[in-house]
Amino acid sequence: MNEQVVHERHWSTHKERGSLFLMRLTAFGVRVLGRRILTPVLYLIVLYFFVSARTARRNIRQYQSYLAEWSGRSSLNPSLGSVYRQFIAFADNLLDRLDVWRGYLRFEQVQLVDPSGVRSRLIRSHLGGRGEILVVTHLGNPDVCRAMAELGEQVPLNVLVHNRHVAQFNRLLGEAGDKSMRLIQVSELDTAMMMDLSQRIERGEWLAIAGDRVPLHDGRRVVVDFLGHAAAFPQGPWLMAGLLRCPVNLLCCLKVDGRYRIILDPFLDKAQWERGKRDATIQAWIQRYADHLAQQCLMAPRQWFNFYAYWQSAEPGANDAS
Amino acid sequence: MNALQQEIAQLIIDTLNLEDVAVDDIPPDQPLFGEGLGLDSVDALELALALQKRYDIRIASDSKDARQHFTTVASLAAFVQAQQDACKS
Repeated sequence: MNEQVVHERHWSTHKERGSLFLMRLTAFGVRVLGRRILTPVLYLIVLYFFVSARTARRNIRQYQSYLAEWSGRSSLNPSLGSVYRQFIAFADNLLDRLDVWRGYLRFEQVQLVDPSGVRSRLIRSHLGGRGEILVVTHLGNPDVCRAMAELGEQVPLNVLVHNRHVAQFNRLLGEAGDKSMRLIQVSELDTAMMMDLSQRIERGEWLAIAGDRVPLHDGRRVVVDFLGHAAAFPQGPWLMAGLLRCPVNLLCCLKVDGRYRIILDPFLDKAQWERGKRDATIQAWIQRYADHLAQQCLMAPRQWFNFYAYWQSAEPGANDAS
Repeated sequence: MNALQQEIAQLIIDTLNLEDVAVDDIPPDQPLFGEGLGLDSVDALELALALQKRYDIRIASDSKDARQHFTTVASLAAFVQAQQDACKS
């Protein structure tokens, strides 16, 4: 593999580092200036990114035009203004994430959409049940995992992340006053990691993992149709679920009309495959997940915060399971 | 094939749902991966979890040993035996 090229392009190397820097700056700013004064400053910084980051602009425009085309809603067609608004939504999102981390966003302020009672299962697993998996997305505010920890009332929530900045993020979480969720770095699924996760599930702990970003050093990816075009999704969360034979739920948090809405949807009662049909089964799950994600994009069209080329990996042959 | 080897061969068949394979079809020294039984890396993870549950053993992460333990039924049996002996003493 041409590491250099991949390094230059991949979100985990530049985007996360950039956003970590921005996050730190924001954390510092909020502490010193307060949110009211910081907000216009952050808007200026985001304006600078908007003007200078041509690739990110192009990627967001691509997302918006795919969404408009796929949904048949011409009102969603991209313009310079609509792309800019998506950048501004990201600035708001950063500020909100800090509030979440500092514990300012209370559970009472969040609207919970949980028709099938995922939350009650989360609480029940505290009393001796098995844990489950939450697949989260970068649409909206993934940091509501923090709020989920509160939702679960002391049910340990392990957030699995791919990037190498876990230590830094944990420190930042500590600085921001957040101590209730645990970040675990998963670079690849090996036996020791799976055994550890399996014991956590048996102890009734829950695992949260992003379902919409392909990690750099993990070739396990599946190409499915997303918003009418081929995009690569990670196999990891689904392999993990199948190996642990546990239920999978989808977690998404969107800001609708200025208010956060946590949407919990059960997805698989028990992830399981027939060995001969493993790849096909996982492919079908991921396609269903991508379809679900596409529907949620319509609920909050400007809150898609994947600024890298989401559809880039969709060349033939990328659908390689091993 | 000793008792533990048979047990592990059966565990492999049950865990991976190898319907058309019998214990006798997995000689202790036949490679489990690639050419032999044709298992892959995901099967290995599934197997590791099943072994952990059945025998309460730990398998270290990045060690090359871990991979070697999974070469054949015989090497798995030896590994399980060694782990159990270590726990007893």
